[in-house]
Amino acid sequence: MHWPLNSLLTLAWRNLWRNYRRTLIMLLAIALGVWAMIVMSALMRGMTDQMVRNGLATLPGEAQIHHPDFLRDPSVVNHMPMPAGSLLQQLEQAPITAWAARLRVPGVLASEYASRGVTLLGVDPAQEAALGSLPDTLLEGRMLEGPDDRGILLGASLAARLETSLGKRIVLMTQDTENDVADRGVRVVGIYRARLQGDEERFAWVGRGALQELLGLDQAVTEVAVTGSDYAAVGAWLPALQASAGPELEVLGWTELHTFLGTMLAVQEGFVLVFMVVVFLVLSFGLINTLVMAVFERTRELGLMQALGMRPALILSQVLLESLLLLALGLLLGNGLALATLLPLRDGVDISAVAEGMEIMEMGATLYPLLAVDDMLMSTAVVLILGLLASLLPAWRASRLDPVRALARH
Amino acid sequence: MNITWRLAWRNLWRHRRRTWLTVGAMVFCNVLLIFLISVQLGSYQMMIDNSLGAFSGHLQLQHEGFDEDQRIRQSVPAVAERARQVQDLLGEEAVAARGIAYALASSEERSFGIQITGVQPQREPRVSTLPGLLREGRYLSGADAEIVVGALLARNLRVAPGDEITILGSGRDGSFAAAIATVVGIVDSGIPELDRALAQVSLSWFQAVFSMGDHGHSVVVRLPHLEQVPLAVTTLQGLRAEHPELVVLDWDQLQPGLRQAIRSDMVSAWVMYAVLILLVAFSVLNTQLMSVLERTREFGVMLALGVSPGRLARLVGLETALLAAMGLGLGVVAGGLLALYLQQVGFTFPGMAEMSARFNLPERMYPPVTLPSLLWGPLTVFLGALLAALYPALRLFGLRPVAAMRAS
Amino acid sequence: MSSIVCRDLCKTFQQGEERITGLDRVSLSIEAGELLCLSGPSGSGKTTLLNALGGLDTPDSGSISLAGRRIDQLSRGALADLRLREIGFVFQAYNLIPVLSARENVEFVMQVQGVAAAARGERAAAVLAEVGLTGLEDRRPGEMSGGQQQRVAVARAIASEPRLVLADEPTANLDTHSATRLMDLFQALNRDRGVTFVLATHDPRVMAYARRLIRMEDGRIIEDVAQQPAGRPSAGGAG
Repeated sequence: MHWPLNSLLTLAWRNLWRNYRRTLIMLLAIALGVWAMIVMSALMRGMTDQMVRNGLATLPGEAQIHHPDFLRDPSVVNHMPMPAGSLLQQLEQAPITAWAARLRVPGVLASEYASRGVTLLGVDPAQEAALGSLPDTLLEGRMLEGPDDRGILLGASLAARLETSLGKRIVLMTQDTENDVADRGVRVVGIYRARLQGDEERFAWVGRGALQELLGLDQAVTEVAVTGSDYAAVGAWLPALQASAGPELEVLGWTELHTFLGTMLAVQEGFVLVFMVVVFLVLSFGLINTLVMAVFERTRELGLMQALGMRPALILSQVLLESLLLLALGLLLGNGLALATLLPLRDGVDISAVAEGMEIMEMGATLYPLLAVDDMLMSTAVVLILGLLASLLPAWRASRLDPVRALARH
Repeated sequence: MNITWRLAWRNLWRHRRRTWLTVGAMVFCNVLLIFLISVQLGSYQMMIDNSLGAFSGHLQLQHEGFDEDQRIRQSVPAVAERARQVQDLLGEEAVAARGIAYALASSEERSFGIQITGVQPQREPRVSTLPGLLREGRYLSGADAEIVVGALLARNLRVAPGDEITILGSGRDGSFAAAIATVVGIVDSGIPELDRALAQVSLSWFQAVFSMGDHGHSVVVRLPHLEQVPLAVTTLQGLRAEHPELVVLDWDQLQPGLRQAIRSDMVSAWVMYAVLILLVAFSVLNTQLMSVLERTREFGVMLALGVSPGRLARLVGLETALLAAMGLGLGVVAGGLLALYLQQVGFTFPGMAEMSARFNLPERMYPPVTLPSLLWGPLTVFLGALLAALYPALRLFGLRPVAAMRAS
Repeated sequence: MSSIVCRDLCKTFQQGEERITGLDRVSLSIEAGELLCLSGPSGSGKTTLLNALGGLDTPDSGSISLAGRRIDQLSRGALADLRLREIGFVFQAYNLIPVLSARENVEFVMQVQGVAAAARGERAAAVLAEVGLTGLEDRRPGEMSGGQQQRVAVARAIASEPRLVLADEPTANLDTHSATRLMDLFQALNRDRGVTFVLATHDPRVMAYARRLIRMEDGRIIEDVAQQPAGRPSAGGAG
């Protein structure tokens, strides 16, 4: 059979504009739906992306190496040696971009007025800087200068609660490897501000070497944080790292270390698709309606076409083509609108009005929409596939008209 | 029945399929909205109840500045007496006094810096759900040197009921505070933050260990309903005449993240709902515009007969209202049935357990069916549909009878 | 009663490239209580004149007064009111409301006028009986023949007891018996109640009843004569 695609296309196009108001309204509806699909998923993706990034900056790293018992029993007793040999070699290799060996132990800080339980982080500032885990803003004083810095860096709200300030001495108490309390006076060398107030109250930063000395550890640490360039691609290098770390050490990716973030990401992926399908379903009622009416109004004409010898399959494809044109125009318009909305928002949307609530979600005060090509493709696929499916019914009905009765209609 | 109503009703059924598709769009959207809103409002209510019920209560009486700085000296004198006074003022039973201090807790093998709360063992269960969530052992009896700890803290300290914990800290006067307490119970709330930090002892012993005298740090009040908070706050302001150093904090001040978390969630949820409602409104607009356009001739006749355009517009409005009312009615019934079903059976989705623990929510949701959750969405859809009919209805004012009657 | 006075009515239409003359300086006065026929070929301006007389269409120039009131200058709302209260229309293509039954179509105008439900029902039944549609009150237009629909349209026009009835080809689809009966009804209304009738028609059966005949061509009145009407000379309803 000959398929006169050109004339079919012309016919479908002209038919589309016979009732231009109806077509325009439907076009607007499709465009609005597509716009919502893309913009909402960009906002959701941006939110999740930022939550993951912020979460990973505090975790820190995209993967961590520990003594196998450390996560269950976060005590200095469960320490591990500094990376060496093949592990060190692996850590220095691409795609791993940075790593930091650190001590993370519970401790108590006491000023002459008050005391607070904290998490002590013994770090090498250079390694931490590469990892991106250092506090965001230094309010006063200085950062730690090296692994052997004997000062302490406190969060601003912790300093307030301890009633201490820059330059003052406080007592640091923690438990050494023998389960005895080790304590030492340290000077506050810097006050920092963290993005999240909770972090500010929880973490106190000291030199790794200085802490090792206090705890009676030689070159041991409690964790090695590792990061690559893309948090979604951890799976690519994690097995090699696990292999070179050997059975003595536990190497876990962030999705296992921070299950909330991992779940969050998976749920969001699912939600984007569900949202798109739901939006389309609401849209589909209007789409079917438009096509049903278009076929209804042309009953006589379609009967005539059949009477003139046009095959039902050709009529079916003509209606489908009309629907396809409508959907494609709607997609084009919707994508255009979405881009026009999102591009000016590239530099972030101010959500500080609700920032404290966002803290629970590990968010900052600015939301950066993340436009993913995948989302645009997914929305296009959802609209085209489901759209054509929805059009099948009216198209089929059009192709099944009885020419004699259709022509008799006034 | 009035002819206008009959006319409107019959006009709706001139294109049965079109009408059903439009009603279908509204019903679908309404069911979706009822589901989403009942889950949303239900989870807010639970977030608030669970978060406040676990520890902070609906409001607290504290020394000014204690909430920010948490210093041991920022204390409430004669705290137990204050609690009784608050109880009398409000006529509520759920009032308890607490003291709060930070100390180094050491078991035989481990040490952690923790927050120790001194509570009134008889009163505490009235304001907090935690005493009821014991996994092992028993709650405080009121005797000295007993301590109840959270499950994660117990694991970190490697202690079980019967084990001893040494507490080292500083008292209110700056003196050295040291004591040994025996673990009598372990609380498992399922909320990691609480289970990692919880350590409760009796208030009287707390006051002795930390040299507090009769001081404490807060009087916690739990109210039967959230709506009672503002009135209770006003009532308690009266105490400040006698004790100007005290402040009354409501739940929003005690947990500032909570209301904002709800508000930010509401914002994003409403953006989503608005999109759905707008799409349905487009559907109605299309249907009604078609219906008006195809009746141009008929409207021309009516105009010629002397029916005013306003009356015709009202007819179109009535048709839309009937259409929307069907969507509303069927949507509320279908959505209500779904909501009732979910209220009984509950629902969950993959990943919900991890997500909900973050917000003090259970793993399975049983969204309560309430009037607002049932009607908010459908009524907005109804209004949206009526607004959508505005354009087709207003077009009628431009019709000229002769030209309209000539239309094909 | 209403008397109609038109002076120098002009009306043109744009149809594609061409301008068509609908009315060309038509002047006419109609006394209250006349029964008048407009005749002439298609496109001679009968319908246009009828529309202008009924305030459906406004002329490009000239004036129309109804009972001394200029209607070419009334607002659309006032015109609608005028049509509703004083004029009954019978359109060429009957133009019934398809979703309403015969009775409801007849009641519709009265309802808009604000006639009480009981009175409306009674009146509708009576008028439908007068046009010979008893038993068909509950049929919808789609279920009736052209002639039956035509009679519903007439019933609708006279139901609200207008003082002026404008009818465009009221007998186009009627057999001789129905046409005669309809014209007898018109004549009775004209004679007994003084209702003014202006009928546009080709139908000699209709013209026979007229007391005045006006012939139109190309939008102009070319003949205006009085005649002795046919029909029953005495009063009395249909039998």
